[in-house]
Amino acid sequence: MGGLAHYLEAEGIPTALISLIRGHTERMKPPRALFVPFPLGRPFGAPNAPDFQRKVLSTVLALLERQDGPILEDFPDKAPGPQELSDEEMEGWTCPINFSSSVDDLSDTEKFSKAIKQEIALLRPWYEESVAKQNGRRLDGLTEFSTEEIVDHLVAYAEDQDTPSFLEGENMARAIKLTCDDLKHFYYQAALAKPAATYEDIDNWFFGESLGGTLILEIRKILIGLEDPVLKRVGLINLLPHAMSHHAT
Amino acid sequence: MVFLKDMPEAAYERIVNQELPEYGETDCVAGPPLAERRIAIITTAGLHRREDTAFKMGVGEYRIIPDDTDMNDLIMSHISNNFDRTGFQQDLNIVFPIERLRELDKADEIGSVAAYHYAFMGATPPTDQAAVAKDLAGLLKGDNVTGVILAGV
Repeated sequence: MGGLAHYLEAEGIPTALISLIRGHTERMKPPRALFVPFPLGRPFGAPNAPDFQRKVLSTVLALLERQDGPILEDFPDKAPGPQELSDEEMEGWTCPINFSSSVDDLSDTEKFSKAIKQEIALLRPWYEESVAKQNGRRLDGLTEFSTEEIVDHLVAYAEDQDTPSFLEGENMARAIKLTCDDLKHFYYQAALAKPAATYEDIDNWFFGESLGGTLILEIRKILIGLEDPVLKRVGLINLLPHAMSHHAT
Repeated sequence: MVFLKDMPEAAYERIVNQELPEYGETDCVAGPPLAERRIAIITTAGLHRREDTAFKMGVGEYRIIPDDTDMNDLIMSHISNNFDRTGFQQDLNIVFPIERLRELDKADEIGSVAAYHYAFMGATPPTDQAAVAKDLAGLLKGDNVTGVILAGV
């Protein structure tokens, strides 16, 4: 992002940048930047907080009128956080059934596949509720596969890594990355039917309790053990967030 | 726990100390008062319309987001999973504040909203964006843009 600021400004376009990693911005010295003390992924602070978002946007826009660069200002306020949930409310977004005790042998792929599709069926109403609450906005759709088809492809890959890529025109590494992200988007969108849940809670639920997360962790373990450097790299860095590494087996 | 400071130490060190190109200082381009500026948003969140091709690693490419796009149709194919996406799943404006920008336009705090906005994927090495940025600058000028908000994730 800092590089783009230099390139565009050199071409005559005024820029003002939102920075989430202050150290990078200090080193790259873009002409105008505003550091914001928010989590990675949230440059305008908090969802559904229009007044706060507008304040961040107005603050960074105001920098456009200055020419004393390189400018690196600090936004003074922390982002508003989600409200605490009661135990009763928590039950609404956690996985409705924990299948882990009935799936103690992942080599039994038929059993696993059936269980994860049951889990998806139970989450489906929450997913639909979440999509409806957002006026039809949904985040899955990186591929054209249904959630169940994604499960079939990933389970088949877990059984046999010599199968050809299941995503037309793409190699297996990209097929796995895009379908795992789509699977994750489905689960996260379902969990967000209760928007006050924190992202840390949802991450821990997905990777620690759901079968969807178990499937991705299993694929990750397989990829890390392969010789192919591209597939190995996807396994090492593209499927499990660093912050969730305690769920790796 | 997607605050950078809360990441495991090895991941924190890798991100903070990653190799970055040196640019020196670039002069700030002057422009009209904010209330007369035409503003575009450029995000590095890897956003695109559902029918667009998903972003690929190591390619300094961008996607166009026309201002009249159905914003509900924007999805994210950023390769990194080390930033929060639940905020984006609840509210597009947390990474791409298009509604806030339109509100500022309506309140005459900016001059106008650009006809086109743009999205990159931030995991791309900055130097891979040099050639495409030149092309992009031409498009922004053609749209009479006089201010760009660059928002990373």
